[in-house]
Amino acid sequence: MMARGLARFLVSLLLVAICNAASVSQPISDSHRSAALDVFVPLDGSYKSLEEAYEALRSLEILGIDKKSDLSSGTCENVVKVLGSPSSALKDVFYALSVNGILKCKSGDDVPKDVVSKLQAGAKDAKLLLDFYYSIRGLVLVKEQFSGTDLTLGDAEAIFRSVKALSQSDGRWRYSSNNAESSTFAAGLAFETLAGVISLAPSEIDQSLIQTVKTGILKLFDSLRKYDDGTFYFDGSEGPISTTASVIRGLTSFAASESTGLNLPGDKIVGLAKFFLGVGIPGDAKDFFNQIDALASLEDNRFSVPLILSLPSTVISLTKKEPLKVKVSTVLGSKAPALGVKLAQALNSKGSSVINNQELKFDADSATYFLDSFPKNFDVGKYTFVFEILLDESANEKAYITEAQTKVPIAATGAISIENAEIAVLDSDVGSVESQKKLDLTKDGGVSLSANHLQKLRLSFQLTTPLGLVFKPHQAFLKLKHESQVEHIFLVKTSGKKAELVLDFLGLVEKLYYLSGKYEIQLTIGDASMENSLLSNIGHIELDLPERPEKAPLPPLQPTDPYSRYGPKAEISHIFRIPEKLPAKQLSLIFLGLIVLPFIAFLIGLTRLGVNIKSFPSSVGAATSALLFHGGIGAVLLLYVLFWLKLDLFTTLKALSLLGVFLLFVGHRTLSNLAAASNKLKSA
Amino acid sequence: MMNLSRSVALISLFLLPLLSFSFSVDNPTDRRVLVLLDDLSLKSSHSIFFSTLKSRGFDLDFKLAEDSKLALQRYGQYLYDGLIIFAPSTERFGGSLDSKSIADFVDSGRDLILSADTSASDLIRGIALECGVDFDEDSSAMVIDHSSFSVSDVDGDHTLIAADDLVKSHAILGKTKIEAPVLFRGVAHSLNPTNNLVLKVLSASPSAYSANPSSKLSSPPQLTGSAISLVSVMQARNNARVVISGSLQLFSDKLFRSGVQKAGSPNKYEKSGNEQFATELSKWVFHERGHLKAGSLVHHRVGETDEPAIYRIKDDLEFSVEILEWSGKSWEPYVADDVQVQFYMMSPYVLKTLSTDKKGLFHTSFKVPDVYGVFQFKVEYEKLGYTTLSLSKQIPVRPYRHNEYERFIPTAYPYYGACFTTMAGFFVFSFVYLYHK
Repeated sequence: MMARGLARFLVSLLLVAICNAASVSQPISDSHRSAALDVFVPLDGSYKSLEEAYEALRSLEILGIDKKSDLSSGTCENVVKVLGSPSSALKDVFYALSVNGILKCKSGDDVPKDVVSKLQAGAKDAKLLLDFYYSIRGLVLVKEQFSGTDLTLGDAEAIFRSVKALSQSDGRWRYSSNNAESSTFAAGLAFETLAGVISLAPSEIDQSLIQTVKTGILKLFDSLRKYDDGTFYFDGSEGPISTTASVIRGLTSFAASESTGLNLPGDKIVGLAKFFLGVGIPGDAKDFFNQIDALASLEDNRFSVPLILSLPSTVISLTKKEPLKVKVSTVLGSKAPALGVKLAQALNSKGSSVINNQELKFDADSATYFLDSFPKNFDVGKYTFVFEILLDESANEKAYITEAQTKVPIAATGAISIENAEIAVLDSDVGSVESQKKLDLTKDGGVSLSANHLQKLRLSFQLTTPLGLVFKPHQAFLKLKHESQVEHIFLVKTSGKKAELVLDFLGLVEKLYYLSGKYEIQLTIGDASMENSLLSNIGHIELDLPERPEKAPLPPLQPTDPYSRYGPKAEISHIFRIPEKLPAKQLSLIFLGLIVLPFIAFLIGLTRLGVNIKSFPSSVGAATSALLFHGGIGAVLLLYVLFWLKLDLFTTLKALSLLGVFLLFVGHRTLSNLAAASNKLKSA
Repeated sequence: MMNLSRSVALISLFLLPLLSFSFSVDNPTDRRVLVLLDDLSLKSSHSIFFSTLKSRGFDLDFKLAEDSKLALQRYGQYLYDGLIIFAPSTERFGGSLDSKSIADFVDSGRDLILSADTSASDLIRGIALECGVDFDEDSSAMVIDHSSFSVSDVDGDHTLIAADDLVKSHAILGKTKIEAPVLFRGVAHSLNPTNNLVLKVLSASPSAYSANPSSKLSSPPQLTGSAISLVSVMQARNNARVVISGSLQLFSDKLFRSGVQKAGSPNKYEKSGNEQFATELSKWVFHERGHLKAGSLVHHRVGETDEPAIYRIKDDLEFSVEILEWSGKSWEPYVADDVQVQFYMMSPYVLKTLSTDKKGLFHTSFKVPDVYGVFQFKVEYEKLGYTTLSLSKQIPVRPYRHNEYERFIPTAYPYYGACFTTMAGFFVFSFVYLYHK
């Protein structure tokens, strides 16, 4: 628990430090106003609850943004409904009255009688702090908004005592008498309630009672927590912003209600104001409201109004000769009374004072104080300026309060002159200059050098401030970048008047991973107070280094370019096998013709020989069997043709076997007929 | 028993809407996001970033990083789909959370936004290291840039960097160019060169370096120039996405609202690029962009519509695949000209770029190679910022059957002619021989 608290504390500290890098508070400005419009955006024209509506309307009112007309119709309907209904809770009534105070939905003599009696009964019967708070503050709101009612609390002192009874010895308060847990947030609510009781009381409350509350307040201030930069806050389970805002609201209304006045430590009040300004612009509506409302309370209170010293710019450019401007205003950015601002001290980074006790001039038009001339010995660098505000206390009706001293870090920047820049390659043993080039570092140069591992590279330049002093930049790097993207950084150190770097390649071969080849040379000189920081590509050097021994370390892996890693690959198309070369179709057809020729010759030969078929049987039976026989042969030949064209072997063989049997039969008949005919002829 | 089953039914009814919000392939956007803060005031100081997430439908659960009840999973089920760690100083997480459980969370395909800052704790550095990101070891070091800092009236350190070296990827940073530089104040990191899943989104300029601004340098800084990464992303092999930023302030309302002018540049912007950058980056990390889904691979012979069981060599085929991109609400057609298909057996035989019909369908046609065996259609799509698609479908390819060769070869006509003329001669001769007188 402790550790967590500490960590949270540290982080909030960091946050404050970040939000407020220069630890100079800026008062509420236009950026808050534009952010408020984003933060308090009603959903569909109205807010979820009257509480949210009040917070939004109150914040916008404080910031001076008029959005009432857009929001009044829907919200007012709600207000009238809550005030009219007898069953509304005290909390709703309180927020309805709060909203009514801003929007003026109901006003004048039209006093909601039921509401008043309800609140009065609530105040009488209350046991819990919140009930007291809602009913008493509700009555105060009714008193402010509606005229002509008798709202006096008959037993104000009794109520005061019963609220007071909830307080603890450390200045914090409990929410109820049976709950021992005390809270700083509740203390704020209690102060507001007590303030309400005092203002509603028909006669004066016993001063001793008020005095005990005042001592309680001082006790509460003992529990105040502090950041290093002088801001104060109250911590509690509701968060530092809510808790601190609650206390400040309570204190303001308590101080307003009674006459003797509160005497609170001024530095702590300024610290609280700085805490709220240091928060920046909260994105949460509740935090935003608490910040703005608390600052508004601080702006207009009866104990002490904090004044904030702010600088529009903490960076002074010596080349532009701008005056140093300082503004003093209240936390919400309104004008401060007449006062004087003194620059008590200006300390440089070594801690010696450069400027002492100089009063700033005032420009009434822009309401700024300014220091228009710096002493002759004011050079570039980092300074801490200590300002004091001189208040004429008697002249003001309000009690203003300021920080005793405001410390502001200031950075003075200027143009640094760069001279005598040169680069040279030296021979190692004798130190004689091999080649030397003058450089103009403001432009990228095309210097081209070459060296081997026995030589040295020397780079030197001179930096001087506008005052002519030697300037040591924070960043003076020489970068050697090999073709394979391996980089080496060397610091250029300043000694005496010159910044010089000598690279002895003999001692560096290992560091350079024995990589010979072209190295690009890049020089970077930069500093926070240097306005002309530069990055110069001087040129390149061709290094000839010895071969890499086996055991030497390999250069580190360089990151690959993400763009080249992705992206489409080259297309691949398949190379098909080339089909075998065949002769032309015409050639085949010619040969087909040649093949057919012998058949034609055969037919012609037959006719020449005078063949006949005179012995074809003339009897019907023999002629039939001869015709069938030749038909069969024809069918077999046709079957072969069909086999070639489409039939498969099995069908062909089946058909062939049938035809074969048929042929055997008719062939035998034909041949025996022929044989019988020839026998007859012979015997005849 | 009745009671029990009824209560189970009731519980499941109650869980149903919860389940429907959870991470799924059909609806890849994370819904439930755990936000770990080391201070609850961050909720207010970074509210714009959180409210943009909320307005996009994310269910943010803010917890202190030291909360003793922290848990990412319960009964083996993850309670969240995304994790935002805005707790740079936390040395130890509360509850059961540690760097290993966060690595497991990412390994399960869930997403992470991690933001470090100057003086980041070892725990945060350790988580980043798991993702291939190496923060500068010097805990007081910050990124300093004397040439491209943001011109400001209150910052004299040049640690508020105006960075504009952004990764060129529509998937990661959206189609609208980020005009204004992004403001950055924080710690530098470098990427592990052996890890090719991680990449720089926002890089520093060549003149940047990482050092302690308030002390003199005694040795050259570890990280310099554009090797410094300011914001990096990692997409794991399971498409889990991680954003690692060296600056927590980058996401803050203050820098979102702040104007920016880069040193040496005449352009002055009313608003920094931070809001656009952070919003677009969060869209990417929570899979609202760049998440691809592919339908099945469809292929068939030219002129047919059904997918064959086998192809014959030299078949002409048509191939198509549908690829959709998740837009945060629905699946939109993906349009690109670099999707490729491979016809693959041991090595690609055909590699072809697919053409798109701009409605999500990618198609091409090609001839099956004259090599038979078991092939695969492979679509391996990797693009910067997109999820990786790796699809494959196996298909055998056979040679010609005996009756698929050419039937009547013209070269053989003389042989055919010889056969048939002989047969005709025989037929004629049979008459002459038998019946000549």
